[in-house]
Amino acid sequence: MPAAPSKRVKGTQIRRHFLIGNTAHVLPHPGFPDPPPDGHTKGWTVYVRPLPNGPDITTWLKKVQFKLHHTYADASRTIEAPGPFEVSETGYGEFGVEIRLYFAQESGEKAVYREHYLVLAPYGPDDQRARQERENKIVAERLETIEFNEPTQEFFKTLTSEDQFNWLKVKKGRGKGKKPDYIFEGAVEPTAQLPEKAMDPGQAGAGGAWSVQYERQVLAQLQQSGATLDQMIEEEKRGMEERRRRLEELGVAIGAK
Amino acid sequence: MTTRSDIIAALPLDFAATVDPVRAAPSAARATPNQPIARRRRLHKKPALRNRGRAAHWTYDTSIPPTRRDQLQVRRWRRAAPPSDSADTSPAASKFAKYDIKAEVPAYDDETYAQHLTHPDWTKDETDRLFATYEDCYGKWPVIADHYVADSHKTMEEMKSRFYSISATLLNLQTPMTAMTASEYSAYDVLKSFDPLKEASRKKLAEGHLRRPRNEVDEETVLLSELQRIMLHQNTLDSEREDLRRRLQHPVADQNGYQYSTSQALTTLWQQLLAADRMKKTQRLRPLDISGARPSQSGAAANLPGADTTTSATPQTAQQSVVDMSKQDLQRFGVMVVQAGQEKLPTGISFASDKLSKPRVAKSSLQTDKIAATLTHIGVPELIPLPTLAVVEQFERIMAKMQVLLDLRKVAEKEEQELRVRGAEMGV
Repeated sequence: MPAAPSKRVKGTQIRRHFLIGNTAHVLPHPGFPDPPPDGHTKGWTVYVRPLPNGPDITTWLKKVQFKLHHTYADASRTIEAPGPFEVSETGYGEFGVEIRLYFAQESGEKAVYREHYLVLAPYGPDDQRARQERENKIVAERLETIEFNEPTQEFFKTLTSEDQFNWLKVKKGRGKGKKPDYIFEGAVEPTAQLPEKAMDPGQAGAGGAWSVQYERQVLAQLQQSGATLDQMIEEEKRGMEERRRRLEELGVAIGAK
Repeated sequence: MTTRSDIIAALPLDFAATVDPVRAAPSAARATPNQPIARRRRLHKKPALRNRGRAAHWTYDTSIPPTRRDQLQVRRWRRAAPPSDSADTSPAASKFAKYDIKAEVPAYDDETYAQHLTHPDWTKDETDRLFATYEDCYGKWPVIADHYVADSHKTMEEMKSRFYSISATLLNLQTPMTAMTASEYSAYDVLKSFDPLKEASRKKLAEGHLRRPRNEVDEETVLLSELQRIMLHQNTLDSEREDLRRRLQHPVADQNGYQYSTSQALTTLWQQLLAADRMKKTQRLRPLDISGARPSQSGAAANLPGADTTTSATPQTAQQSVVDMSKQDLQRFGVMVVQAGQEKLPTGISFASDKLSKPRVAKSSLQTDKIAATLTHIGVPELIPLPTLAVVEQFERIMAKMQVLLDLRKVAEKEEQELRVRGAEMGV
């Protein structure tokens, strides 16, 4: 590299949550070409989005490349900043979409690949499936956390500047010649962590369902599983004791013969 | 052969007065003035009755000795000498004798009564009468309650309790408790545990239930559904209340913070803290080269981004800026500082969801399958969509326990094998 790599901030790690997922609708549906091309029954959108109350994703993500199935014309779709990182298409089959994330220049990092399996059919427990069919909208997304370990200094600076939240704020002019004030007018304070409560579960596609509440639910479930596992370990230990005893007995009996 | 005149003679009725309605004059048979007379017309000629010789002969029998205790007079037509059936020679009464079921009544004699069965509310006479009524009414308690006649009025439950207690005592006398078989003992137990008051109230309750008015039923269903809804949402309600409580209990400062509101006071505070920090073993604060401390009360730092006060890009200041950022800012921007004792950070970029998926894959596919089976058995979903720090930690704990479990199982298999070998040795 022509320039020496800039010094890194030791011992720190910056984490950013973002959402990878896809929505799917049964055609015809507004927003998709009508009539749909032959044999295509579903319209879908695969996307990479920030949290609705989080810092701007384009601070660190400059370009996203979606690699669709080879049967699609132009299988490799590239979206650059700022545009919403999403690809809408019509189709009939589920496949794995390879997503390549390109980072900002100052990070000095290479691109990484993530895979997302495109879900087109209703899934989950019965009532969830019923709801998906009723609203004709299937959302399959997951929260991903990207961790930048020991970032470079410039990167660190951009990632900790207040400007990242500007996209959520409303410009308020302060008279000519002065820089406009950015004031946040939303309901939830902007932060890189998960919001306390689910912001708006209705907008499942926009990531409104992620919250600390949900985290607690997942944690509770995992704790329960852990408890079950503990029980199983106890059982195994008891079995082991039992076997040890029998082994001893048998050993004594054999010795006595 | 029976003719019409035979029948008329047998029945003690005066038939002379009656008139055959069909053959009578049509005018007399009109029910209402406008009803047309239906003259019976034969649509076809009925063949005259021929077979008069082979008709069966029936006799009217009034002399059956009643086998019942109550002098019921029974008169019956009997078929005389049927042509084919010759086996039926027994008197008709015994044909039905097999249906004459008697109720099972425990019997006692006077001494037994005097010894074991006395009761303050029941005289011997009444008890005897009760038992006789029981036998008569075939053990049907509502009927017994009706038929029972005595000086003192007894309710059905009282009678039942008396009967059952006597039965139980007699049973006990016959075969002492220790010698009873299981079925006998269960019967004895049931008899012993009859509670008249409880039974009476239970029946009253059932009756009331039966006769409930409509609006009461509706009210009750509505209340039950409310209750069910409340129970279902109990969990969410509880967690929300906990949330609220936590928020309300924000830490209260025990000292008045106003003494530090001037910049001078603030600098003195800063110097104090710095001095105290120097005393400690590990220095956490670093002396700043800018004057003025910043207010570190929670909530006030939201508007001041911490990193931009020093603009030089030397590592020293970058390091400082991490430390200078208030805890709130660190949270807001998702910056995590390595704590003492944690393992080294991986280089480059890593993803948190990998920590949830990589441990599931083991060296051999068999192991992977076992892990997957165990995970589904304890209820961990295949895809956990929320890889936050806490979730990842919890998952790692579960995976560690899982390893322990799998190792235990492996050892268990080996020990089983060993046991089997030794067992075979023993047999040899």
